[in-house]
Amino acid sequence: MRAWHAAACAIICLWAGLAGAEDRLAVVGALDLRWVHSTAQTSYLNGGVGALRFDPDHEDLRLGRAFLAARVRLMDVVTLHAVANAYGDHDRNPVDLSELWAEVRPFPTQALRWRVRVGAFHMPVSLENRASGWSDVYTITPSALNTWLGEEFRTIGAELEARWLGASSGYLGDVALIAAAYGWNDPAGALIADGGFRLTDRPSTLFGGLSRPPTTFYHEIDRQPGYYAGLIWRHHDRLEFRALRYDNRANPRTETDAGGYAWRTRFSSLGVRLEPAAHWTFIAQYLDGDTAVGPTDTTPDEFRMSYRAAFGLTSLDWGRERLTARFDDFHTHQLSGFEGPPSDESGHAWTVGWTHELGAQWQLAAEWIRVSSRFPPRVTYDKPPGLLESQTQLAIRYRFGGGL
Amino acid sequence: MAHRKSPVRMRSGHPARLATRFAVTARLFAKRVTVASVASLASATLCHAGELAVSIVDRAGRPVTDVVVTAAPLDQRVSRAASAASTAVMDQRSLAFVPRVLVVATGTSVAFPNSDSVSHQVYSFSPAKKFQLPLYKGERHPPVTFDREGLVVLGCNIHDEMAGYIYVTDAPYFGTTDAAGMLRLTDLRAGDYRLTLWSPVVADPPATLTRTVQVAAQGVTASRVQLARELRARPEPRPRRGDWEY
Repeated sequence: MRAWHAAACAIICLWAGLAGAEDRLAVVGALDLRWVHSTAQTSYLNGGVGALRFDPDHEDLRLGRAFLAARVRLMDVVTLHAVANAYGDHDRNPVDLSELWAEVRPFPTQALRWRVRVGAFHMPVSLENRASGWSDVYTITPSALNTWLGEEFRTIGAELEARWLGASSGYLGDVALIAAAYGWNDPAGALIADGGFRLTDRPSTLFGGLSRPPTTFYHEIDRQPGYYAGLIWRHHDRLEFRALRYDNRANPRTETDAGGYAWRTRFSSLGVRLEPAAHWTFIAQYLDGDTAVGPTDTTPDEFRMSYRAAFGLTSLDWGRERLTARFDDFHTHQLSGFEGPPSDESGHAWTVGWTHELGAQWQLAAEWIRVSSRFPPRVTYDKPPGLLESQTQLAIRYRFGGGL
Repeated sequence: MAHRKSPVRMRSGHPARLATRFAVTARLFAKRVTVASVASLASATLCHAGELAVSIVDRAGRPVTDVVVTAAPLDQRVSRAASAASTAVMDQRSLAFVPRVLVVATGTSVAFPNSDSVSHQVYSFSPAKKFQLPLYKGERHPPVTFDREGLVVLGCNIHDEMAGYIYVTDAPYFGTTDAAGMLRLTDLRAGDYRLTLWSPVVADPPATLTRTVQVAAQGVTASRVQLARELRARPEPRPRRGDWEY
């Protein structure tokens, strides 16, 4: 992966060279600094069992995120996109790419428009992460559902979209069918099986990894591609509906010499974002699926677990302000597998967020989040199965660039 | 609305002048009336031009803005002058076409200046005009000439939520209704005219949106149209906070 990392950095440098002509290169970036207060258990990001990003050992002033998102136009209909991030934690790559893809989007000559994306990118599920660099515009921390998708999933492959454009038929909206084939997502599922759902704004990067299992995310283990297929319906720029079926088609009996396992992970996802009138936004998402691993040569048991997560979000924006409240609900249920406390999680979370635009480039953001969850395997770490954790953050964000 | 008598408006311009004036709004909803006036072949009417005041209201009697109104004389002896080398502007502001609805005479060249900080790729695959026009920052592009009558639906290949309309007409008199749902067409000869209405929000059948009106030689002829069906919902795009939101 080191070689890949170097290659990706070389590609970015090449882009910068290519981007001599005005408008060929567009860059957006942001720096997010935080003041944090936390009553959480040691975060899973620091090797603990806590469900939040920060813990009492990682409080006060923190780097929330620094990122650069770039787009290079190679031709009218061909663009390259990349997002590079730094989170200021102990990731083995202090700066790393989270997305890198090429897009071909021909001009439509009829009501049906095709689009192809090739590379590494987020699948189109989250209705919260709608800003550049997969940033959340409503709260600092995305929902448990979208946290998980950001942590364990990246489409490393190709996605085809066929979009019916309604305007030519007098309908202000469109309907898109999407299908993707991808690899390198075989470990997806391991994290949720290990520790249940979390709520953090710390998505994984492509080449890095933290000192916790699994150390890296994006591996091809069984040489079987996965797929997802879905539908996106946009109505009057007021309603967006998304449905998606994901199946990484991993062979759960596969194991690498280095101890990497293929997790067969499947889920169905539904989401709707409604902006019925000026200032109001409502979002609801639901995800339901299962994951399985084994038996393999070294682990005789088959582990299977189902999971479901949902959240509802209400946001009110006026002038320079945005106020958001969200309720998360999430569960896992172990169906078969190893001895010991079952991976049966039951939890919910409340989040209240506020943002204030200080100007064109500066933003203040505040968030209070409280998670109540019960996950029996925590006793193996000498922690109580039930936890009530809270975290308060105040962020100042500087954003620059444009034209993306 | 009752007919109102008004003094005859005297035209001091060159009698053979074909004046096409276009004004493009700087704001999304502001309206301007675009009128093409035609020199009459009958010199007797040069100093006696009528006006047609069109008022459009919805089922509940509320004014309907941005409705395209065209008026074509049924008397074929009043021919339209040769196509004017006129120009118009369809801007792009805050990820929207401004104005959303533009009506132009056949043969008009329309400029697409792109006042946004982001790039656009404007296209149309409407039969009246198929074109593809990348609008990158710092680059200028020649205007597009609309040489066939008909409706041209505009889209942006980068921002699918953008939709705009250019209504290309052979009719000599045209415009769009203002915030009060009103449009005044001036310098019309007396006679019968075919009045045609179009708007992306009007759901009435097209056959009911064409009617004949008789324009008096002097004064203002008023025509009030009340729509039978509910307007189609066309909410404005939500404003975005800078380029980092989409």
